[in-house]
This record gives sequence, C-alpha cells and structure tokens, in this order.
Amino acid sequence: MKNLKVTLLLILSLAACALAQSGASETLAVDSIAFSKFYVSIEGGEKYPFGNLVDAVDNAYYVGLGARYAYWEDFDGIILFQYSYFEPHGKVPHIYGVHEVSGKLGLDYRWKLISPLVVGAGFLCNWNRADYDEKNRPHFESQGGTLTDNETEFGWFARLNLPVFTLDNYRAGLNVLWEQVWTLPERSNMLSVGLYVERRLW
Amino acid sequence: MRSFLNRILCSFSVLCLLFAATVSYAAVDAEMEGMEVDSRDDGTFLVGSPTYYYDRRLGAGGLHSESELWSPEKLRQRLLFNRMSPLPSWNPLPPSVWLKTGNELGDLIYQDFLISEDKPKNRTPILEGGFRSPSFKGFWVTGRGFQDDHFSTRSFSYRKEFVDDEFALFGENYPMFSSMYAGFGYGAGQVNASVLAGEEYIWIFSESSRWIPVHYKPRVETRVDVGNLETTVAYEAADYQNKKKKETGERKEWNGSLRYRCGDACRRGILQLSAGLAFRKVDDSGVVYTRLEDDRVILPFMELKIEPARALAAHAMFAVNDRDWLVQDSIELRPAAPSGAGVVLGVKNISGTRLNPIADTEEFFDGDTISLTADGQMNLVQGYAAFTDTLGNLEIGGRGSFWAEHGAETFDVDKYVTDEDFVYRHGDVDRINSWIKGVTGELWFSAWYQEMFAFKALGGFERIDGNESRFEVTPVEFFTSFSADWLLRRSFRISHSLRYRSDAKWNLRSHDPLTIKGDWFWDATFEQRFPLYGLYLTGTLLHVIGDEVVETPNGAENRLRFVCTVRKTF
Repeated sequence: MKNLKVTLLLILSLAACALAQSGASETLAVDSIAFSKFYVSIEGGEKYPFGNLVDAVDNAYYVGLGARYAYWEDFDGIILFQYSYFEPHGKVPHIYGVHEVSGKLGLDYRWKLISPLVVGAGFLCNWNRADYDEKNRPHFESQGGTLTDNETEFGWFARLNLPVFTLDNYRAGLNVLWEQVWTLPERSNMLSVGLYVERRLW
Repeated sequence: MRSFLNRILCSFSVLCLLFAATVSYAAVDAEMEGMEVDSRDDGTFLVGSPTYYYDRRLGAGGLHSESELWSPEKLRQRLLFNRMSPLPSWNPLPPSVWLKTGNELGDLIYQDFLISEDKPKNRTPILEGGFRSPSFKGFWVTGRGFQDDHFSTRSFSYRKEFVDDEFALFGENYPMFSSMYAGFGYGAGQVNASVLAGEEYIWIFSESSRWIPVHYKPRVETRVDVGNLETTVAYEAADYQNKKKKETGERKEWNGSLRYRCGDACRRGILQLSAGLAFRKVDDSGVVYTRLEDDRVILPFMELKIEPARALAAHAMFAVNDRDWLVQDSIELRPAAPSGAGVVLGVKNISGTRLNPIADTEEFFDGDTISLTADGQMNLVQGYAAFTDTLGNLEIGGRGSFWAEHGAETFDVDKYVTDEDFVYRHGDVDRINSWIKGVTGELWFSAWYQEMFAFKALGGFERIDGNESRFEVTPVEFFTSFSADWLLRRSFRISHSLRYRSDAKWNLRSHDPLTIKGDWFWDATFEQRFPLYGLYLTGTLLHVIGDEVVETPNGAENRLRFVCTVRKTF
C-alpha cells in the first residue's frame, strides 16, 4: 500500500507538470527549436556514495563528455557519458576496483525564477565490471562476485547546473548531480560534483 | 470487502484528481512487440514468459484465453504449441533503424560488496537492434536481432541442463526466446512481397507444463500480397533435444496460408465474402516431443458479412477440415440513437471441435502420450449490450453480457510429477461437459483535449458459475484501471496506467491450485520526439508497484523492469 501511495503522489506530480506545460506557448513550432543549438562539453569531478553504499565503495573521481541541445524554448536535452573507477571500501578478496561507465539522458529546465541556475532530470544506465585478480577470479556467489561479469543497471538522476563563466561560444560551470540506481537489496545513491567546460557547435 | 471498497474509493479519488489534467493518446509501450498483454488492464493477463501467457479479456465469454483461439486474423502470427502468438514477430517493421535495451531492475552492483550470502538472483536484460532501409525503386532490405531475457532466471539453472549450449544468439541467460532474421522485400502498387531468413531459439510451454527447447535453423518466411490476395509460406528446420536423457530430434516443417480479402467493391455490397486456407506439413525424425496427426493439416476457411441494413450486420467464420471444424459468428443490431450516442445489441457464438485446429495433436511426455484433442465439441453463446454517450470531450460507456459455454476445453489430469521446483502433469485434453455460465459488466469514462491528452477510467466485474475445479484458469472477478496519455508541446509523450485486478487461479497445473493474488500495477512511458528528424527516445517502466510473483505454473516472476529505445525513422 505504501508503494501505491508513492505511485499516486508521482502520478499527481506528473499531472501537475502536465498542467504547467499545457499553459506554455505552443506557437513556436517545436521542429524549429529542436537541435537548433548544440553544445558539447567535458567534465570532471568526484562522486560520493550515500546511504549504505558508503560501506561498499569509496569516493571516486570521474571524467565525462556531454552534449546539450535545444529541445523547447525553455528546455534543453542532455546526454552525459561519465567514467569512474571505484575502489571497494575495505578489502574485498581479489577485487581491486570496479570500472563504471554511466550514460545519462534527460532534460534541463531553464526556470527563469532561479536563473542562471538550471534544474534537470532523466534516466541513467550504468555499466560496471570489476578489475580483479585474473588468477583468482572470485566466484559468482562470493563478495563482489557478480561484478566479475558485465553488469548493467538503470536508474534516474536529478541535477543542478550553475554556469559560472559565459563567453560567446564557451561556458564553464558547476554540475551537482544526484543519482539513484535501481539495485537490490537496496537502491544505490550517489552525489557527484563536477566542473565542466562547454562549447557551442552551432 | 472493506479493503475492496477502500481501493475503489481510493481509485476514484485519483480519477477525479487526474481528470483535470490527463487523457489517452497512446498506450504504454510494450517491452517487445507481442508483449502488449503485460500492460493490459481489462481482464486476466498472467505472464510466465514472453512465449507463454494466459490472456483473457473480461467479458470475452468462455474460459479460453484469446491466444488459444485460432482465427483468420492470426494467420501471420506464430504457432507456439497450441497458441497463436504475436511473438517472436517476423512482421517487417516500417523503414527505420532502432536499438533497444532494458533490464529487470535489481542487480546488485556495489551492493554486492555488502553481501556474501543469500544474494538476490541476478537480473537479466532485453536486447534488440534492427533496421529497414528506405525503399529504392520499390526494393528494401531489413535485419533484426531480438531476444528477451526477462522471465528467465527462475528456471535458468534447471533449463540449462536440457540443452548443450547457451541456447541463445547472445549471452548466457538462457532467454525464453532469441531470434534473428534478415531479408529483403519489394513494394509497389498492388504488390508487397518479402523474403526473410534467420535463426531462432524458443522455449515452448506445453500441456504437460514443461518447457521444450526448439532451435530453428534456418527459418525462412516469404510473404506475397497481390491486390486482395495474401500468401505466406514458411520453412522451419527445428532441432529438439533433451541433454539429460540424451534425446535429439528434428522437425522439418512447411506452413503458411492463403487468404483472399474482401476488396473495396466487395465491402460496399450487402454480402461480403473472404476465404482462404492455412496449412502445415511436418516431417519428424528422432525424438520430437509433439506430433501432428498424419503429419499435415489443411484448414480451409470462409468469412461472411451480411449487412442488409446499416443497423444490422451478421458476421460468420467457418473453418473445416477432415478432423475439425470451428465456427465463430455474431449478429449485431445498432438501433437509432441520439447524436453522439450509440447502442449495440448482439449475440455471439463460438462452436467447434477444437479452439486451434492447426495445432499438434499429441504430446509425448515421460512415456505418456497426452492427447491434445478431445471428443465432442464446445459451444459458447453470448448475448451482449453496449452503449456510449458523448458530451463534448467526455464519453461514458458500458457493456453488459451473459454467456454460457458447454464443452469447454480443459485438462483431465491423471497424475502430477515433481522435478526440483517444477510440477508436471500427465493426462489428456478433455471437455467440461456441463454448462458454465457467466455474467459480466463493464463501465468506462473517458475525456480528452485535442491531441494533448486523453484519459480513460475502466472497471469491470464478472461472475462465473460452473465446476471451477475443472477450469484451467479461474479468471479475475473484477478490475479497475486508469490510463492517461499526455503529448506535451506535441513532442514529449507521457503514457501511464494504474490498475488493479483481483485474484486469479490456476486449478489444474499442480496438486493445489496456484492463486495469483490481486494487486495494483503501474506502467509508464516517457518519450522525447523529434518529428522533423524522425527521432524518438523512449523509456518505459513496467510493473512498478506490483509484487514480483510467479503468474503462471513453472513460469518466472513478473518483475519491475525498465526498457529504453532509440528509433530513427526514414
């Protein structure tokens, strides 16, 4: 029943968003805006595990590539690819660390009320594979054993994007991103903070 | 009862809240073509695998599922044992290139560092990629690889003992099907033709309740449509095996159909006539776990529609051969109604010796021969009345029916046997030679605003009287559902549905009936659209709040999952 209530709240939120968007101007043809501007970026920062994940892995640096494109007048589409290498928190036999490649797809909302701050959200897909001792490959059932094979999992994210310097075709700023991966037995939460430099292509 | 009332009240409060902001534009996307039943909300839909589910719309009448009943509309679906299945679909898709992936949610990832025993089972993905070229002087080429690893983990380690390799085109999850094809086609004017060839692995569910691994290599399908004439011919070289018993077998099969559809001129007449035939020819060697009597079946059929007046129409479909016959007919009266309203009064009948006359006739299981046909015939009669009324952007409607069935197909169980966690049965297909009666009622309400939103609330109940202990499945007694679809700024789609269905029960696949408890479900699709570029980015969440339970005997848990698709149309 708890899940149902959460779902009902989510549905109401969706309804509220829909109502808000229904009032927005549709006079400007969507097709004339989509991809009318396109930006690419590089990014680097650190990822901080939250919740029970603090006991699983340590903080890790990440590097990434990004793309941003005009979607609506006040919305941009965002695509992010990030790489990190997480080391286990504490010793895990025969596993040195875990490679993570994260792909993210979502929307940024340029809300005038909080400008220049931009808020965004979307879905993510992470690929993970352990960096382990080849001569002593951990068994699937052992601690961390599932990561010795390719693992993918999905989740969602929300982010704040604060542009700090803006030139004609360049922009630099700060990204703060909260992500939740739909893992078991508990969901996995992380916060990442990073700096980016972005260039407008057209 | 109080709980039920609470749920209904809760649901209608949500309905009122959503009413101002929602409606139906398109449904939640299925995880794969042919899995639409998993998000259906208007009856009993129990999914054990992409290759096996029980699908029965409340109010359909009778006890059979929709996929068990053969009809000319399913000529280009796949025959999986005795069910007509839209999956795996070899329908060439429109010109586009696409990529799909997803997962049953709940892999461990870093949580694995916190667990050293009693790990949750690893979750499995879904994969699809394909293309179809634009037409060049009428010619096009296509290719598609697709497999659904969902629903595979519960029986994964058990099934792998039956086969001598991974039994999939990709990965080691022993998916319930894995398919790949490529081919070319031609379309111009009155002609549409295609030739596809590929390889396929399928686990087919049988009357004994076991999963039979079948490897098609190759499978070739040709389709030629000229004007109103449609032909399909497929060749399948299928390998069967049971590594545990060191058994192997081979079936070479030709199957297909020919159909003449009533054309435009025909459809304007009082008498509309279509006709055709379906056929199968098999050549078995070694150990093949089913048999088709005489190694062949040809099923001619004819469809009639008589419309002596605009308010009166009669439909009939006859299919008959030397072994079986099947008739499906109806008469509908649409009396004059005020503008914006509609009333339908109808009577429907299904009679026949077999629900699917082209299916195999025997299954061989552990020294037993299970007859897949039953003596006698089934007769289903249903009377129904439906109405709709429209006021501006609102519509209300309802449908009530009563039905009676005699000779419903069922299974006469001799004994059950257990192997690890799986239960099998011996016996024969049989009939319930007594009357089963049902009464149904459905009400719906919908609202919409231009193309931006559509909303539908639907509820239904059904009361069935009969010898329930002989029903293969006792369908749900009631359901309620709310679906809403938004198209924001003509380029962002949100489709979702919230629904509840009551208990359903499998009575004949295990010693004790398997009850599938009633539950709430929520599915949602989010899609960015770029119509000018023909680009669509889609994410779908399925089975979000429902408990992850096994919905069919020997099936697997229906889990929370996420699927994303990128599609570029040409």
